[in-house]
Amino acid sequence: MTTQKSKNDVFVVKHLRSALGSPTETALSSSRERVRKWFAAEAPLIQWGEMNSPLGPLFVAINQRGLCALDFGRQESEFLERFDNRARLERDPKAVQRVLAQLREYFAGDRSNFNLPVDISVLTPFQRSVLDVACRIAPGQVWSYQRIAKELGRPRSSRPVGGALARNPIPIVIPCHRVIASDGSLGGYSGGSGLKAKRWLLRLEGAI
Amino acid sequence: MALRFEELIKRHHDENFAYLWRLMGNDRHRDGSMDVEDLTQDVFLRAYDSFAAVRSNSNHRAWLYKIATHCAYTQFRRMKHQRDQLSWLKHSVTELETASDDSSLRKDMEQRGRALVNELPAKQKACITLRYLQDLDYPEIAQILGCSQESARANVYQPIRHLRLALEGEK
Repeated sequence: MTTQKSKNDVFVVKHLRSALGSPTETALSSSRERVRKWFAAEAPLIQWGEMNSPLGPLFVAINQRGLCALDFGRQESEFLERFDNRARLERDPKAVQRVLAQLREYFAGDRSNFNLPVDISVLTPFQRSVLDVACRIAPGQVWSYQRIAKELGRPRSSRPVGGALARNPIPIVIPCHRVIASDGSLGGYSGGSGLKAKRWLLRLEGAI
Repeated sequence: MALRFEELIKRHHDENFAYLWRLMGNDRHRDGSMDVEDLTQDVFLRAYDSFAAVRSNSNHRAWLYKIATHCAYTQFRRMKHQRDQLSWLKHSVTELETASDDSSLRKDMEQRGRALVNELPAKQKACITLRYLQDLDYPEIAQILGCSQESARANVYQPIRHLRLALEGEK
């Protein structure tokens, strides 16, 4: 009896499968295309590219506002992981060629400042103000964390200044490496290989 | 690396569309695919809005099915005219019963099955579609529908029994 019933159930399921059926490829691809178009219009576009640099593989990314990320000495996947996972990521060497060209000139010693629109809107107002001050440090010079704190009118905020510099999403272009400790030691650096990279950059600029 | 939304669309669009297409009972004799396109779009729109809150190690497939099921339930409620559609289907089944060639007979069987499924409560319809058309297991179905595995099993067993009895009665 049970066997007969389960046989019947197999028949019912088979019947059910054929009754409910499957959508055609035309219907599927029409919907696929619609969702894809909506996503392309909705999701923020981030275009990125890479180059070889004296500090290892270097990655840059731009959004609608400007350069929004730079990192070096890391894997591609590590670099891409930082972006909002809803964003549309496109590897586009052409879109970032201006950024890469200026970086090549910098590494060759032919450029000391960058002329690029940047986007650091992901940071807090305090973090942004710290990076704004860091941009005023001329190549070949170094400032202390405390001096930046004083510039901001918050002389006791050396440590938060260090924290804000560590969050710099576009090192080198925003020269957070030009900030060192008051005692002359290098302090910290979160880009690439850390202090080794910081020392290398400061040597390139003739600061040490 | 955390799953990106773009990849989520690539991986899961087709099965979600197929699920909604089956669940909404789109009849191949009527152009109902537009409704399912709207619903599928709605599923991904909702998913996009809450994607940031989903943990990277979550079961994204089950999560999307859950959203799709909610969208379908909402649509069922909106479709007050569903009964009219059912009576239209029943009517066409009666008409087709007189057909004699094999393909018409198969269509007749499919439409009868389709009509029987359409009459089921929404949860049972979702359960049997997830189990037998989308090939999900009971723990996943329970997760999607927010119920126990026992409840998921019961909501598969009952409609299958109902369909078996209905089909036996027609023999």
